[in-house]
Amino acid sequence: MSEAQRTPFVESLLEAAAQAQLPGSGIGWLDAARRENLDAFVAAGLPDTRVEAWKYTALRALGQRRFAPGDAQATTRAVDAAAITLPGVDGPALVFVNGVFRADLSRVDALPAGLSLQPLSQALQGDAEPLRFALSRHYREGGDAFARLNAALSGDGVVLRVAPHATVAQTVHLVFVGAAAEGDLAWHMRHIVELGEGAELSLVEHHVASGEQQHLGTQVTDIALRKGARLRWVTLQDASAGSTLVRHDSMQLDEDAQAASHVLELGGALVRHDLHATLAGDRSRLETRGVFVLNGRQHVDTQMAIRHQALGTASDSVWRGVADQRSRGVFRGAIVVAQGADGSDASLSSKNLLLSGQAEIDTKPELEIYADEVKAAHGATVGQLDERSLFYLRSRGIPLAEARAMLTAAFCRAVFASLDNDALREHLDHQLMAHLPSA
Amino acid sequence: MTTETTDRSDTSATLRDNAEVAAALGRRYEAGFVTDIETDSLPPGLSEDIIRQLSALKQEPEWMTEWRLKAYRHWLTMPEPHWAKLNIGAIDFQAISYYASPKNKPKSLDEVDPKLLETYDKLGVPLHERAKLAGVAVDAVFDSVSVGTTFRKELAEAGVIFCSMSEAIREHPELVQKYLGSVVPTGDNYFAALNSAVFSDGSFVFIPRGVRCPMELSTYFRINAGHTGQFERTLIIAEEGAYVSYLEGCTAPMRDENQLHAAVVELVALEKAQIKYSTVQNWYPGDENGVGGIYNFVTKRGDCRGDDSKISWTQVETGSAITWKYPSCVLRGDRSVGEFYSVALTHHRQQADTGTKMIHLGKGTKSKIVSKGISAGRSSNSYRGLVKVEKGAEGARNYTQCDSLLIGKKCGAHTFPYMEVKNPTAIVEHEATTSKISDDQLFYCRSRGIGEEDAVSMIVDGFCKQVFRELPMEFAVEAKKLLEVSLEGAVG
Repeated sequence: MSEAQRTPFVESLLEAAAQAQLPGSGIGWLDAARRENLDAFVAAGLPDTRVEAWKYTALRALGQRRFAPGDAQATTRAVDAAAITLPGVDGPALVFVNGVFRADLSRVDALPAGLSLQPLSQALQGDAEPLRFALSRHYREGGDAFARLNAALSGDGVVLRVAPHATVAQTVHLVFVGAAAEGDLAWHMRHIVELGEGAELSLVEHHVASGEQQHLGTQVTDIALRKGARLRWVTLQDASAGSTLVRHDSMQLDEDAQAASHVLELGGALVRHDLHATLAGDRSRLETRGVFVLNGRQHVDTQMAIRHQALGTASDSVWRGVADQRSRGVFRGAIVVAQGADGSDASLSSKNLLLSGQAEIDTKPELEIYADEVKAAHGATVGQLDERSLFYLRSRGIPLAEARAMLTAAFCRAVFASLDNDALREHLDHQLMAHLPSA
Repeated sequence: MTTETTDRSDTSATLRDNAEVAAALGRRYEAGFVTDIETDSLPPGLSEDIIRQLSALKQEPEWMTEWRLKAYRHWLTMPEPHWAKLNIGAIDFQAISYYASPKNKPKSLDEVDPKLLETYDKLGVPLHERAKLAGVAVDAVFDSVSVGTTFRKELAEAGVIFCSMSEAIREHPELVQKYLGSVVPTGDNYFAALNSAVFSDGSFVFIPRGVRCPMELSTYFRINAGHTGQFERTLIIAEEGAYVSYLEGCTAPMRDENQLHAAVVELVALEKAQIKYSTVQNWYPGDENGVGGIYNFVTKRGDCRGDDSKISWTQVETGSAITWKYPSCVLRGDRSVGEFYSVALTHHRQQADTGTKMIHLGKGTKSKIVSKGISAGRSSNSYRGLVKVEKGAEGARNYTQCDSLLIGKKCGAHTFPYMEVKNPTAIVEHEATTSKISDDQLFYCRSRGIGEEDAVSMIVDGFCKQVFRELPMEFAVEAKKLLEVSLEGAVG
């Protein structure tokens, strides 16, 4: 891309890169990786809708916006303590406000045995070598603009490790607060999570707003589950209504590892979530559950790709979407069964409710199968509430609006049935109900 | 459909080594032969001059020449598409001869070169007999010019026009000008633009208002002269309340070089009209190592222009080295109906990327998609479909079912369905499964004394039944036979 074609978005981020004093600068390999990713980002810019991965999400408007390079007052901004606590989540917590670590709000004293948890900025001050593999990654796919941007500009995030055979009883809480500032900010976070052999962990990723703002947040997360490790991971995304949030998660599961991911997408104006999982070890299992509930002009795009690469692997995905008013929900669920991944069992369901004539749902379940001893199925629907169920409820004296709300809630709620943290599940239910159109 | 993950039984292991199976594996393409007839061809290459010459050879009016040139100029500006899950070798468009017609054009069937008729005999389609017995009018296209048309009279009495495209351009220019390119515009996609520029011939069908076509119309396409791309252009128009069922079947003799086939089929259904379009495609798929075979890049689209109209596509695709084909329906009229039934089988190194598009524009429109993919050998078989419900398509309904069957460990079966819904009263459903032939089913058949190949053939037949049911009778028989032949050597 020549200088003249640079969009205001790219310009503002280039300026940010020039000014930035990122943690870890001076480490040769890190500087090189940051520079190369920045060059790649600037050269390609933001993808347009001709790039398949961005077919349903246009970034033209974002390309015209400018973002200030981070928040100098982030360490002093007031954050409501109630907003960053969740029922059933009482373990160690790391809190970031506008991308900056807040020790005063975090709980990292007295970590349980086997758990190591610290912000990336601190980890980089010590021995950075263990982070080298993750932080040297290059993103070469045409649609990876935000991952490149993140690799170039991220200086903080979460580094979480669980020692082999350690079971962390308490749920670890990661909180990302978008706080109102003087202008629109951009923040970039890089997370690295590793569970050693046979380790167990429950993790909650929590995006929350403090005041109205239209920030841009990008985050890249690498999760590695070693042999026999188990992860329960819940994401509650309740960012500010005007914000843009791009999350890029990669997960690798070794032999006999198991992961369950529950995602509730409520907030944000433009939200993109990539979840790429590789079932690399024999008998590894992944369960994903997700719901998005949209209204106004919200645009939420979830791109899930699960790759079965080993014998006897299993994945089971259930996603629900509700789009009201002028919102747009996009879902892609791709399952790849690679050659030799015999005995794989993959299933995916994407069901969506379209509640308004101005809303739109685009869903694309995909199967790519290269092995023959497999069981793979997917189903997708777009429709509206069942008339007969509505009639049944109304015939029992329930008003239309309430009947609709009940059925919509039931439609979404099935997704969280497998969540074993009761208090948290109840809270998510409440949040869901509060966001449903007729409630 | 579910799959067992247990190991194959010992019996099948011994069968794998069976010499008979090995022989069947190496069986050559049965319709592979070349008829020696002198052909009158244009030199290879593509330019405005070639197109003018082609148009002049076919004695076309000025407007047609201009139409072709316009398409050619647009084609020059277009990039070759690469989005399909296909591995396509480079195509040298300048190495293709864009016109080949048998010399000494016959005036009636009796004058047809006996060698040519012999070719049909070898294929089991004796023109006269088949036509009489089956009550089918055959407009056989041999290379690029129609050589014989039967049952013209009977059709003419009903007011049906069924002739070659060249004839239609000469004799019914008003109809051709009105409808040609109205469903697939000249610049629609790369191969459609190429076809618009150089199409050689094809079929033209016009069913006037209220007429139910008295017989099923059929065309046999064959590609015979080497180095000749075949660029068919088919246009079918069903006026208000008309009905027509059209059958298209293909086989091609063995050739070592890849041959390009880029056809365009346009269907127009006016109010309450119905068009049923059935295809059995068995072009030369290339040998076991993927050498040779036809590139089949086809644009097929039906426009349900009138209210309550219906277009139904049924296809059985077993041939071609590469298939790139998405018969689609634009459901414009209120309450119009689109259907797509497909069986696609790939073996050895064949590649298929096929599916459909259902574009719902009118109120109460309905569409149904049933796709069955079977992959064997080292082949790759993809379903790619789009169901789009626009804002005005109140109460639109779609049901899609795609099933894939894998035979062997080195093939791939893929499903890429797109669903785009903008109307809250629409209901769109998609279901897909992928599995291999169940060991239970195989064991059951084998325990009753059915040989493994027969058992597989029975199971595959059952898997495809939903689609075969939609085919006209004589095609259904042929399709079943084709699948058997194509799957030979796939098991073990």
